[in-house]
Amino acid sequence: MAQSEGKIEELTDPLFFVDRPWVTIVWDDPVNLMSYVTYVFMSLFNYSKERATELMLLVHNEGRAVVSSGRREEMERDVARLHEFGLWATLARDDH
Amino acid sequence: MATLKGFVKFNDDSYLLDVSESERDVLINLSGQLIEILAERVDAAQSDPLAKMIGITGHDSPPDDEVLLRLLPNAYADPVDASEFRRYTESDLRTKKAQHAMQVRSQLMEMENGTILLDSEGALAWLGAINDIRLALGVRLKVDENSHERLELLSTEDPMHAVFAVYSWLGWLQESLVLALMEDFEQDGESSES
Repeated sequence: MAQSEGKIEELTDPLFFVDRPWVTIVWDDPVNLMSYVTYVFMSLFNYSKERATELMLLVHNEGRAVVSSGRREEMERDVARLHEFGLWATLARDDH
Repeated sequence: MATLKGFVKFNDDSYLLDVSESERDVLINLSGQLIEILAERVDAAQSDPLAKMIGITGHDSPPDDEVLLRLLPNAYADPVDASEFRRYTESDLRTKKAQHAMQVRSQLMEMENGTILLDSEGALAWLGAINDIRLALGVRLKVDENSHERLELLSTEDPMHAVFAVYSWLGWLQESLVLALMEDFEQDGESSES
């Protein structure tokens, strides 16, 4: 448990996610296309293509990435939208 | 004459799908199967109007079926939080996925002269449905990081050989739609986040 929290911490951009207690995590999946995952990040989170690609590669290479952070209700909404598009997402408290 | 294949961007916010008769039949069949498998997971609280009224649909444990579990995954690692979230949201997720598949299916059934024109909203429904079908086939084919070679080498007699061919084709089809949708972002350029 402590170990996995450490990993989440590493993947969290400290400037981007300040003082925000919950995070949405996307997990690597062997089926979803890289281009599709990038597109979903751009479309759901309004991320630039560069940022979306960077996050997609983090998911692909590290096995997961924090893709958004905020209030618990907001993260639940993000996870629900990601599930609607078939990405494997969970939310967790960011103990950073 | 160059033949249109898969999805292409047609106009502002419109996308054209060009499929052969046999591709159409495969898509009708698979979207139908997706609708069926989602329907297997009926709301446990259907008979309890009060529970339904306050948004509780009854299912608080994950589906036993692997395909359904992949389509309707847990939102939390913690099983208690996951159950709570599922109880209130799974029905909605299931409905959306079924709606995407039903839209795809009915447009294919009504298709004339081999093409379907989609607006942005329609394109997203197609994108979601194709992805759900690929996820379902991926579970059945036991796709993992190292399975590509195993699947490529399947004997043509193996029933999974044909399934893998369809799975690969759907990946190509989905990619063509993603690329068409991405063109819009590239045209909008710096207008969103910079």
